[in-house]
Amino acid sequence: MGNNSAVSFVKIALFSILVILTVAFLSAVSSIVKLVIIAALLAYILDPLANFFESRNMSRTFATISIFACIVTLAAIIYLVLFPLLWAEIAALKSGFHPEEAGAVVSQLEDFLVANLSFLGVKELHLLERLQNSMAQAGDWIVSHFIDAASVVTSLILIPFIVFFLIKDGREFQKAFVSIVPNRYFEFTLYLFHKLNTQIGNFLRGQFIDATIVGIFSIFAMWLIGIKYFVLIGVFAGLANLIPYFGPITGCLLAVIVSVLQTGGFQTALYVIIAFTVIKLLDDAVVQPIVVAKSVHMHPLTVLLAVLVGGKLFGVLGMLLSVPLAGFMKVVIHESILNYRRYGIRRA
Amino acid sequence: MGKLWENFFKLRCKQKDEDEIENILSHIPVFQDLSRRELRTVKRILHQREYRNNEVIFNEGDIGLGMYIIEKGNIRITCRQDTHLLAELNEGDFFGELALLDDSPRSASAVAQAPTGMLCFFKPALLDLIERSPVLGSKILFKLAWTIGERLKSTNEQIKELRCGIQQDQKKEQ
Repeated sequence: MGNNSAVSFVKIALFSILVILTVAFLSAVSSIVKLVIIAALLAYILDPLANFFESRNMSRTFATISIFACIVTLAAIIYLVLFPLLWAEIAALKSGFHPEEAGAVVSQLEDFLVANLSFLGVKELHLLERLQNSMAQAGDWIVSHFIDAASVVTSLILIPFIVFFLIKDGREFQKAFVSIVPNRYFEFTLYLFHKLNTQIGNFLRGQFIDATIVGIFSIFAMWLIGIKYFVLIGVFAGLANLIPYFGPITGCLLAVIVSVLQTGGFQTALYVIIAFTVIKLLDDAVVQPIVVAKSVHMHPLTVLLAVLVGGKLFGVLGMLLSVPLAGFMKVVIHESILNYRRYGIRRA
Repeated sequence: MGKLWENFFKLRCKQKDEDEIENILSHIPVFQDLSRRELRTVKRILHQREYRNNEVIFNEGDIGLGMYIIEKGNIRITCRQDTHLLAELNEGDFFGELALLDDSPRSASAVAQAPTGMLCFFKPALLDLIERSPVLGSKILFKLAWTIGERLKSTNEQIKELRCGIQQDQKKEQ
């Protein structure tokens, strides 16, 4: 008995050391890990497309090449059509806002706040100056976070490279991994992979389609209302929609600020809020039930905490990746506990 | 030079092993109607496992994910904690095919009776195959249904014989 517990203790200690070393190694190469995670998520999203091409009698390699050909074509169209628009909008955002109407509205707001909140010690707020600074900073932030030349070039080369091989040889990688799992856990490991593939795969594909639809709806709605930077706002709203709770509100808030500064009144802002509410309702009632169905279900509090922790650790990228990663952990832990309780995984 | 011959020999051996696997698969009812090319596709998605003598392949009540084909060695299928022997299976036999369709736990235990090599064909691989090669997937599903039907017929026959036996015993007692 004492011997057994000593062996168990050594095993647990060795396992803990291995986990600590793995975590230390992964945090040391965190930038590469981030790229691999993004590539794996993209490969998950694109995998059914490769299966579709394969079902049309294509080899896996040719199916993967075809997907990349489609992506390159799409990227070329975006580069030629959307990119100049986006770039012009970011440049305009960087230079700040100067319309007189906006200045008047903000001054009115400042006067109102000073008059009504003087008991709180509110005196001079310099709202217009602060707003202009933050808008210019927002432009810089977009440039530094998303359009950093060095990281874009590295990512543009590395991510497609990893995605290509994950789609083409994903099954072989999985088979090679499973082949080193001991017989005792072999079938359960495959079961876990199966659950992850269906639940996380459905979740990621659903989120991707959902974000695209919300982005397109937002671009169209902002263009219809006549808001400046409608492409930038739409793309931002679509991407922000990937972050639960905070995303849709942030997207709407950005559009409201732009509309107030653009028109100098609150009437257009009201239209913007109505448009975003309608998009959100459509998304919740029609799009989400169709595209995100049959995926991993997570409690709202879990999602919220995951987003906060992800944001704290890795910024915006962390917020985007936190939900699928939390879903991944949930499936692994839930299935392990469930099967341990139900079947004892395997009695040796 | 010796290395070259060694590698060449290894390659030949590997090719021979792969031909043997195709040969085993072609004798399994589920894969019987498949062409050489289709068998090669199936072979690529199979998992190969080695079990020691007396090693448990799965226990009664375990999660079941698919079927096992015996490449070499012997297997004992038992139930009720190894007290009832249901079958002894040899090279070229297969078991657990119901798990390809059903999510319920394993109804019996399987234990290797000698160093045993297995080919494992699991549900996720079958679902994936149906998605990317529907014709091949439907061929396998059809033969799987046929195999399970044959097992059902054989079970019905056994039940009929048992009933007849019981009725005859009851008549004798009367």
